[in-house]
Amino acid sequence: MVASPKNFPLIAELLAEQQRLQTPVAQFATAHDAGVSFVPQLIPLSLPGPGEQYAFEVDLDSCTGCKACVSACHSLNGLDDEETWRDVGLVVSPSRAHPFTQTVTTACHHCADPACLNGCPVLAYEKDPITGVVVHLDDQCIGCSYCVLKCPYDVPKFSERLGIVRKCDMCHSRLAAGEAPACAQACPTHAIKIVTVQSNVGRSATSGVDTSSFLHAAPDPSYTQPTTRYISSRPLPENLVAADATTLRVQPAHWPLVIMLTLLPAAVGLQIASLGSASKLSTLNAQLLPLAAAAAGGLGLLASVFHLGRPLRAWRIFLGWRKSWLSREAMVFGAWFPLTVLAAVAPHFSQLSRFNFQSLPMVTATIGTLGLVCSAMIYVDTRRHFWRAAQTFPRFFGTALVVAAACLAPLAAIPLLAFKLALESRTFFFGEVSARLQRGPLARAAVARDLCGLTALVLLTAAPVWLALAPLLAGELAERYLFFRAVDAPKMPGVPSA
Amino acid sequence: MIPPLDELLHARTGPMTADMVLHPADFGLGRMPARLQPAATTTSVCGFCSTGCSLRIHLNAAGEAINLSPDRDHPVNLGMACPKGWEALTPLAAPDRATTPLLRESKSGALAPVSWERALAAFTETFKGIQQKHGPHSIAFLSTGQIVMEEMALLGALFKFGMGGLHCDSNTRQCMATSHVAYKQSFGFDAPPFTYADFEESDALIFIGANPCIAHPIMWQRVMMNQRSPEIVVIDPRATETAQAATLHVPLRPKSDLTLLYGLAHLLVARGAVKMDFVKKHTNGFEAFVTFLADFTLDRVAAETGLPAATLHRLVEIITTRERVSFWWTMGVNQSHEATRTAQAIINLALMTGNIGRPGTGANSITGQCNAMGSRLFGNATSLLGGHDFGNPAHRDKIADALGLDPARIPEKTGYAYDQILDAIDRGEIRALWVIATNTAHSWINQRHAQEILGKLDFLVVQDMYATTETARMADLVLPAAGWGEKEGVLINSERRLGVVRKVARAPGQALSDFAIFQLVAEAWGCGGMFRAWRTPEAAFQLLKNISAGQPCDFSGIRDYEHIAASGGIQWPFPNSVGAQSCCALSEYEPGPQQDCAPTLIRQRRLFTDGRFFHADGRAKFLFDPPRPMPELPDAAYPFILLTGRGSSAQWHTGSRTDKSAVLRKLAPTILTMEIHPDDAERLGLAAGDQAEIRSRRGTATATTIVTATVQRGQIFLPMHFDAVNRLTFPAFDPHSRQPSYKACAVAVTKG
Repeated sequence: MVASPKNFPLIAELLAEQQRLQTPVAQFATAHDAGVSFVPQLIPLSLPGPGEQYAFEVDLDSCTGCKACVSACHSLNGLDDEETWRDVGLVVSPSRAHPFTQTVTTACHHCADPACLNGCPVLAYEKDPITGVVVHLDDQCIGCSYCVLKCPYDVPKFSERLGIVRKCDMCHSRLAAGEAPACAQACPTHAIKIVTVQSNVGRSATSGVDTSSFLHAAPDPSYTQPTTRYISSRPLPENLVAADATTLRVQPAHWPLVIMLTLLPAAVGLQIASLGSASKLSTLNAQLLPLAAAAAGGLGLLASVFHLGRPLRAWRIFLGWRKSWLSREAMVFGAWFPLTVLAAVAPHFSQLSRFNFQSLPMVTATIGTLGLVCSAMIYVDTRRHFWRAAQTFPRFFGTALVVAAACLAPLAAIPLLAFKLALESRTFFFGEVSARLQRGPLARAAVARDLCGLTALVLLTAAPVWLALAPLLAGELAERYLFFRAVDAPKMPGVPSA
Repeated sequence: MIPPLDELLHARTGPMTADMVLHPADFGLGRMPARLQPAATTTSVCGFCSTGCSLRIHLNAAGEAINLSPDRDHPVNLGMACPKGWEALTPLAAPDRATTPLLRESKSGALAPVSWERALAAFTETFKGIQQKHGPHSIAFLSTGQIVMEEMALLGALFKFGMGGLHCDSNTRQCMATSHVAYKQSFGFDAPPFTYADFEESDALIFIGANPCIAHPIMWQRVMMNQRSPEIVVIDPRATETAQAATLHVPLRPKSDLTLLYGLAHLLVARGAVKMDFVKKHTNGFEAFVTFLADFTLDRVAAETGLPAATLHRLVEIITTRERVSFWWTMGVNQSHEATRTAQAIINLALMTGNIGRPGTGANSITGQCNAMGSRLFGNATSLLGGHDFGNPAHRDKIADALGLDPARIPEKTGYAYDQILDAIDRGEIRALWVIATNTAHSWINQRHAQEILGKLDFLVVQDMYATTETARMADLVLPAAGWGEKEGVLINSERRLGVVRKVARAPGQALSDFAIFQLVAEAWGCGGMFRAWRTPEAAFQLLKNISAGQPCDFSGIRDYEHIAASGGIQWPFPNSVGAQSCCALSEYEPGPQQDCAPTLIRQRRLFTDGRFFHADGRAKFLFDPPRPMPELPDAAYPFILLTGRGSSAQWHTGSRTDKSAVLRKLAPTILTMEIHPDDAERLGLAAGDQAEIRSRRGTATATTIVTATVQRGQIFLPMHFDAVNRLTFPAFDPHSRQPSYKACAVAVTKG
């Protein structure tokens, strides 16, 4: 006989009981003394003086790798489920004589010369003039993620939910109240402390800290002057390697950027072509080129909007022009696009003929070229090897020049494209991370890129230009896709993962 | 009003900024974001490992847990927790929680949701049908060290006294059976003698097969708080995290620990370092032990352990010259083919040097699971409830009387151990199995064979929080269980401390606490009347407390749950009247603030302070046997020894809970990694990051290579949390404890 609610009332009773919680006023809720637990030995007793700032100090001898710091930071700061501002990795010495493994806890290094801050187009990062804490302004952030590319330690984390980046602020409001940061509070062996270190915060161009206590096996500290000190009573082996050093990490594609950075160079290329079109153009209408340039430029800039997590805040993008190539790029292309549209439409409107637009194509092409310099510098400025100037400039300008050449004299485009392909293929070889990525998980994209390029080469020899342009642009799109996905993104030591 | 330009250009405030701004919180919690401000807090002991950390649960106005932080006032963890504790609430919200009973449909072969009524009918009809056909003992259960004591006791009582079953065991067989047997034989009762303060009060801490940095981070915190400049010795084949932090690492050959320990005893005797007055007054069997030790010459021990004589002398030097020496062991000892004698060899060293019953001393077994101690005392498997003997008629009468039962319902013998239950299923003797909160299909040694055996069952019931564990996926019936945080009860930690867990979250759907499920099964089975007194977990606690009276584990002096919580946990023994039938001297209690007050409990208490042990004559026993070679030695075909162990403090066992937390997943390798010595790696052409294939006679696993000299030549290490590892392990068992020997088997390694 199957039991039923009638003959088996205990089921309903226990199901109801299961849902009953003790309320705060119920029997056991014990309110504890209000008041803050002060842990003096974990934080300095006085504020940093001139030429000083706060820094994390990690005692490697005490760190056992329990990782409570990560969880505590996550819980006490109320971060999203997947979000962590601190991470724990592992470094290993391959030495036979001295077996050595060491867990390493890292958060933001609150650098003396923060790359995130320097790159931010809207000045959403501020370095506190007294404490030196690098603070992120969440309501200022436009979600461009450029700081994620700039930071060599993989510190800023993009939140899909919020459309912005967030990061460790050293719990500066806890510090202000005399409380230790969440991670330091939670370390069972007090391995994490806040200390005062020498740092010329905002005082001179040659700002700097003593980075001799920074970790081997971490990215070169000379770039951003990280302030975290990793100390140990025993000398650490010189040849430490990160346990995840060989883990291949395919980077995000950033499709809006792939599209933008294919179409904008193409647009500039079309403008360059239009300069020479009066005399040399044979196959394409001289009036079509500026229109095509405006269309490509418009689509490219439209795509870029989709890259931003918070596009409505992007009107502030000019703020960072002093240091940020992204800010500069936005300003230059922001000026370029209306002129490009004007250059495209002016010949079609006789009312406008009383203005002299003869120099406009030259002006737009020049501004566009300047914009491409900014675009390339955005990536060069991250100091990632794959994005070095010797690769980035030929790639971005290569697209523009090949498109220009294809429109003017297809045969001239052949050596240009061949040279570009050869230059790219250099990155397929040697043991570099980018090479392994392009030969491994990204091999299909790499093959597709070359097939498109070779098809374009063949078609350029005989076929009509419009037929060659299709594989040419597809190939450039694939090349830009690889540009983002195959980059060697530096980070602090982690743990092996798939 | 137009805002000033700077404010317009720099949005320093706004909803996203406000979201992260910290405000001072009540309850001594420091600053917290506004949305996480608790309306109240309560404390609950963590439900992962045996450390028994107290967690302060932050509640909203509805009494629901919204966050937690470690309890600063608790004598165990002193305001700290490992990441598992910090993340203890996260697995409750996992999307794959079992929310209704699931019954396998005969037509489609798939698990389909059914009502509790239907599930209970299927359970009782099938179990009873199998019993009628194949005998009352053709049913069995495998339970856990992860549920509260009251649930373990109700399950054991229901199964043996109500359902007429005999064969039952729990996954504590995989972790603590050895300590249980070793203590019982040596001391007369399963009684870990230490208190955590011993970590701080010791002059020399000798860890054998233990890696507390990873396995018990909060215990290691206590070691680091030691102000006596202690020697920290780690006896382990691998240079573990703990070994690297030690003052002396003793990298012996795998499974040569018994020989080493006898060798040390031999050297101590030769050196005249034995505390003869203690030995004579409080122990039996020492003379025979000394005779036995004669074979363990320095040369033999050095040769068999692979250790230089100087290391052995250094160890003996530390043991003899330091005043307070404590010995600590974990799974490296417990999971061995001669585990019980190895644990007892450690106990022997403590006894002969008088390192027991004093601060900072002891032969101390660090427990694995949060309630392995509860299971050892109240699982009703090997011992009758409360550490009593099934074979003792007086004990059976006592329990029957306490529970209002007919004594005839209590079996006179114990049933099969875990491995024997699986063998009996293999033979067809056991036809139905009830698995509660454990994951046999992943965790049992020689896993493929275990899975084949489970496949032979007529009926497999799995009661778990998740219907997605490897074992639940094989089940015919899944019963959805509430988890830690969704129910009440008591856990007992490594140092015998009872702690309370609280109901602070609502179980999803129709999930019920294990206690409620056992009540329903009893009702459906028709024996509900037998368990009327077990109305709630706390009512059951009162029963168990009475059962404990007069036993070494007597905690009849505890009033109720609130008494435990308010005292920061209470260690057993805590008898009803101080001094009456007490195993610890009166000095263990200090007077209250006022003379006329009831005595206040000292928060840190250890056993055997008076040198009296639990055998009838009050003496401890020296127990020993000649070492035997490990059952599967490496050979030409399988030249490596596979070591296994915990890989990360962010992972717990088979990961059924810890894998549910995004934070914990980030903190541990997501892929199986193999540690191998640089010489071996070079010989095999393996570089760091390469895929390696590891084969044993039983199965194959693929792992990513980590090249490090933390493992010795000829050995590799794999963390146990990945299911491929137990495809390799060799099914050897300790003859006394029946605990599986997970730590050593022969494998071959090739480039994958």
